[in-house]
Amino acid sequence: MNHRRAFFRSCLVSAAGLLAARSERLLASTRLVVDPNDPEVPNEEVARILKGLFGDRPIRRGHVALDMPLVAEDGRVVPVIIESDLPMSSQHHVKAVHLIVDHNPDAHLAAFHLTPAIGSVAISTRIKMKRTTWVRAILETNTGEVWADYARVQVTLNGCG
Amino acid sequence: MTTDIGDARIRIPDQIKRGDLITVNAIVSHPMDTGFFRTPEGNPIPAYFIRDVVVTYGGQEVARFEWTSGISRDPVVSFTLKADKEAPLSMVWSDNKGAIFKHSVLISFGSA
Repeated sequence: MNHRRAFFRSCLVSAAGLLAARSERLLASTRLVVDPNDPEVPNEEVARILKGLFGDRPIRRGHVALDMPLVAEDGRVVPVIIESDLPMSSQHHVKAVHLIVDHNPDAHLAAFHLTPAIGSVAISTRIKMKRTTWVRAILETNTGEVWADYARVQVTLNGCG
Repeated sequence: MTTDIGDARIRIPDQIKRGDLITVNAIVSHPMDTGFFRTPEGNPIPAYFIRDVVVTYGGQEVARFEWTSGISRDPVVSFTLKADKEAPLSMVWSDNKGAIFKHSVLISFGSA
């Protein structure tokens, strides 16, 4: 777990340089994204997905860790780990985690609907990626809060056909 | 080892105590075809994938996953579970052709 967290942090640091260079363009992007360091919404499809899932609620960064490789040599099998520090009690819990891959043919790749019985948010799976793009892990709590984390993954071999 | 479509395994820890937060690992054998690939002869391979996974514990739904063909071939998923009762943990995977695959393991507590 510590190793994964350390890896995750190193991803963030490397992403920071990339983001700084793009910040001017990001500032002008859609209002769905509230933090200037967040990836811009790249197309109508992703905008429609975000609007459909979260309406006008702000998508804030925090409480989620999306752990993915910086470089995926084979886009057919890309590991994903999503974790959250939010509680899973009957009063306050994460009710869904959405995984969105910006430039995939089916961008809303998966939704994980959860209940307090699972005790924590620590989900892992393997996904396909068509090309280098941002991946969004966005969770929604039972009280309507929306929290996100992002990872940019460089894809060498198209895994979607 | 060859496996048939729908063969599934659920892995849980060997020793579980009441109240433990355990990690559940599940795998099901499935091609997860996107519909975008062709055979070497050039014939399109139609979309064929698991799109719904339901997890129940003691008969109560504890999680439900909506998937697309963007999940890799032979889908794996892991998640946690609060082991607070001795009961079956069951998973049901449903694909877009209407097939349903089920697998269960028993959550039980050691006497130690």
